[in-house]
Amino acid sequence: MAKLVRVIDMERCMGCRACIAACHMENHYTPGSPWNEMVEYENGTYPDVRTIFGTMACMHCEDAPCQKICDEINVHAISKNEYGVVMVDYDKCTGCGYCAPVCPYGVPQLNKQAPQSLYPEQETPYEAIPLAQRHPLHQKKNNVMEKCTFCWHKLEKAIIAGEPELIGKKPEYTPSCDLVCPVNARLFGDIDQQDSEVKQYIGKKKAAQLKKESGTNPQVYYVVRGGDF
Amino acid sequence: MPYNRREFIKTSVALIAAAKMATPLKSIAAVAAKAKHSGILESTIRYVKSTCAHCVNFCGINVKMENDVIRAIYPDPERAPFYNVGICPKGVSGVFNTYNPYRIKKPLKRSNPKKGLDQDPGWVEISWEEAFETITGKLKAIRQDDPRKLIWQHGHGKYLIGDKFPKAFAKAFGTPNLVHRTTTCEAARHVADELTWGYHGFLPDIEHCNLLLNFGGNYFEAEQFARWLDHATTDAKERGMKIVVIEPRLSSTASKADEWIPIRPGKDVVLILGLARLLIKQNTIDEEFLLSTTNATALVAGDETLLKDDNGQLLVWDELTQSAKPFSDNVKPALRGSYLVDGKAYVTAFQHFSNSIEEITPAYVAEEAGVPEKKVFWLAEELAKQVKIGATVVMDGHKLRYRPVAIHTFRGLSAKEFGVQNWRAGLVLQMLLGSIDAVGGINLHSVYKKPQYFDASKAEYPPSRVDLQESVFFPHATHNVAQQVAQTVMDPKHYGLEYIPEMQIFYATNRPFSTSDSQKQFASLKKTYNVVIELVMTETAQMADIVLPDLTYLESWHLSPSRYTPRTKHTAIRQPLTNAYQIEHDAYSILWQLSKRLGILDDYVKNVNKQWKLKKHPLQTGQDYSAEQAVEQIWLEQTKGKDFAYAKEHGFIGKHLSVEKTYLSGVDKKFKGAGKPKMNFYAEQLVHTLANVKQQKKQHSLKMIDLDRYQLALSPLPKKEHGFPTPHREAKAFPFYLITYKRMYRNQSGNTALNPILNALGPDVQENFVLINQKSADQLSIKTGEQVVVETRVGKVQGKAKVIEGIRPDTLAISYHYGQQSLAFPDSAKQGIWINSVLENYSDVVSGMESFNDSKCRLIKV
Repeated sequence: MAKLVRVIDMERCMGCRACIAACHMENHYTPGSPWNEMVEYENGTYPDVRTIFGTMACMHCEDAPCQKICDEINVHAISKNEYGVVMVDYDKCTGCGYCAPVCPYGVPQLNKQAPQSLYPEQETPYEAIPLAQRHPLHQKKNNVMEKCTFCWHKLEKAIIAGEPELIGKKPEYTPSCDLVCPVNARLFGDIDQQDSEVKQYIGKKKAAQLKKESGTNPQVYYVVRGGDF
Repeated sequence: MPYNRREFIKTSVALIAAAKMATPLKSIAAVAAKAKHSGILESTIRYVKSTCAHCVNFCGINVKMENDVIRAIYPDPERAPFYNVGICPKGVSGVFNTYNPYRIKKPLKRSNPKKGLDQDPGWVEISWEEAFETITGKLKAIRQDDPRKLIWQHGHGKYLIGDKFPKAFAKAFGTPNLVHRTTTCEAARHVADELTWGYHGFLPDIEHCNLLLNFGGNYFEAEQFARWLDHATTDAKERGMKIVVIEPRLSSTASKADEWIPIRPGKDVVLILGLARLLIKQNTIDEEFLLSTTNATALVAGDETLLKDDNGQLLVWDELTQSAKPFSDNVKPALRGSYLVDGKAYVTAFQHFSNSIEEITPAYVAEEAGVPEKKVFWLAEELAKQVKIGATVVMDGHKLRYRPVAIHTFRGLSAKEFGVQNWRAGLVLQMLLGSIDAVGGINLHSVYKKPQYFDASKAEYPPSRVDLQESVFFPHATHNVAQQVAQTVMDPKHYGLEYIPEMQIFYATNRPFSTSDSQKQFASLKKTYNVVIELVMTETAQMADIVLPDLTYLESWHLSPSRYTPRTKHTAIRQPLTNAYQIEHDAYSILWQLSKRLGILDDYVKNVNKQWKLKKHPLQTGQDYSAEQAVEQIWLEQTKGKDFAYAKEHGFIGKHLSVEKTYLSGVDKKFKGAGKPKMNFYAEQLVHTLANVKQQKKQHSLKMIDLDRYQLALSPLPKKEHGFPTPHREAKAFPFYLITYKRMYRNQSGNTALNPILNALGPDVQENFVLINQKSADQLSIKTGEQVVVETRVGKVQGKAKVIEGIRPDTLAISYHYGQQSLAFPDSAKQGIWINSVLENYSDVVSGMESFNDSKCRLIKV
């Protein structure tokens, strides 16, 4: 039907972390539980050295081990929808934390407390947006697992509007991390779509899945020079 | 059981999929109806176009409003063909630049007369009325006595309301002392441009460039034009452009380059002159460009002046008649050689230059600049191979010079004691290559717009301005001298200032925190009555007598500055999305109020019209203008009458420039051929400026003027000696070079230190570090995370070490904009090292540029 994938081109990524900031802003960041992280490290020794930049968020695996373990313990808080997006139901999540160690990518973030205010002294109008006004994925609870949702709250608007083909193309239907990148290092879209841009990019730039040996079949691809990171 | 949103989605998506072939409209309606009853409160979403003002890129933004709350900030996709494709993390998190409980919300007056970074000012809230009355009272007294005693300083303020409103106020008030921050930025680069081609500003023609040499410019972290250079160079690299980054530290920009050359700090000019020598030896230079467009053929006398006829025209050696003549169509000028004219010996400027760099062999470059000989040869070969001397290309029917090699810098070459000469070397090298204003080379902005830059400086004494701009002290400082104000205020007599400054108004600048040797700056603030207009209680605000709150870039109107590219330009506005703390005034209305209360409003308005060049749409005297109304008039003028409603809807209007405008309106139009002025390969005006400096020193017995220093700095050609700033020569007991740099997540003003999103981008963003090479760290037994002390001749700072491979073993690097000192900031915003406080400052005496990268230091493990 449709399979949403992301491509992160590490050859282009300049490590600015705009995508991290965008994720935090879009998803009512819980301090200590980032949904998107920058991995930055040096490769080589002086003077033949480079810094590698790459970000990691949820891979929305086709065979999501987090979902498997959650089902095995009969909690069923994690599901994967028809577009391939893996999401957590905060109402069902018990905070057991079993999903965290089974994820090869270190994605699940077990929060201690739902976000209160980013400034301890005062709630800003941003934080004062009522919970009831927020998308359920932003109605976080204490002691639950939270993670990247591919900004599903934006993508479903495309579906409701009858414009799913515009996911990843129209800014309102594009995950915010992919939207803000200053150097076009990120692409998002439906790999099953005819003339799919993400499919062409993956082929042209030989993008690969990370830790393929884990067998989870992630829906995030990386253009990597010099192997895994 | 509460309605489960996820189940709803699953069901609705399945419904849509199933219904797609049948009655899609009906099923979408069903999905929408279900969403309405899902228990989520409805909200009104709208998007507003505006311009970010976190830094000097002025990116186009699209702000998402949710029921009048700023919910998110995205890039404006319409701006992408004209400038930025995305936005940086500061822009993304701009919500918290505005929604910030640390904002100053009411005017404040100090009750503790003692000023200091360790002194609680004892702020008392006052009304706007009391604030205006108090400030106006002081201003009236000063204006009656001597209006020059008022100093207006801004930094970021120039980009919030523009410098034209403050300039209009300063003019109406009668003070010459309006000071911007450019000498803490890139003033030396501007002055080098001005001396060479009569205005300033350039961009590499990235679209057509095949080899980009970048001397310490860092557009992947932050700099002017970064949000265009970042995606343009990334695309060009995929196209095949080669990028070589030359700098001591492996910046993000160096990391993405094809080649990183870790040069010894301060020695860039040595490498550039070494490359010039090789190109000349190999004869891979654009002789035609040098002959037709530059004064490389001018004849240099023994006293370094150029030979001219009685009409002041430059003479060249005509190879046809074997005599000295003005350059005309019938003359074949010699590029090389020595000649006798009326019994006196002359040498062509080009020959003079060639002779002067003879010693700068690849071996010398290796020895002094730390660049291996093989690398120097390789770089020269690459330049020669890629530049394609003699090549042309046809674009839009125009035959254009094609030289796809560009040399770029921002602070890398300019934030130094010899910043002007370092960039002059870069320009001279590009004159040799003929790549200036060629397709693929560097594209100059408004060539020869101010011919007066080709004149010698009068080297004024006594100085008329407190910052000593264009005085004997900084004779070609055309962009103010920001850091000098504090030093003059401390001892006006020493500098010959005929008045004693009494009052300073600081608008959106944390100048004292941002300069080198910054403790001295704070001492000067004890001497004047200070008014600070700011968002948060910065270090500068803490030294104020009265603090006035300001509106942020998301709360105010402005005709925004905008950045051009070689093929585009645009006019943009900023418009308010909110007023988070119901603040009544911003700097625009503050200036309006002060002008009114001083009785100079009509004069102010007339000067506003002059500054903004409002001819068809001027502001009228006798009526008040809100910021929105003023912006509308400026917009109408600048867009030749485009409806303001368009501005509010789109945020900007863009224009694509013609090939003629981009490539044929610069040096080819202004300098090429007989009968036209010539680009200054040889900056003769500096010779005459030196003579004026000597004259002033003698006439006024100016003991503080070190003529040796001025002689070296005011050289008409760059020399190898410009690679040896004072600390490198003197601080022999300090083994490490110390350089600074900018990180993406902070600026100097301090409000970014309070931004919770910017502080949550990773474990390494809330503080800065002493970057040290692995081998050096091993020798000193230092590990990452350990406390170290960095000691310069100015003082000591302490912080955490970070051991890396990406820096020269003889160099340490510490970024700015950390180590905030304000008593009003929480501890979380005050982490890190205030490196500015220990940087040595030997300002470039030509331009006034502060040196940020010339210090030497010791490293001690705590």
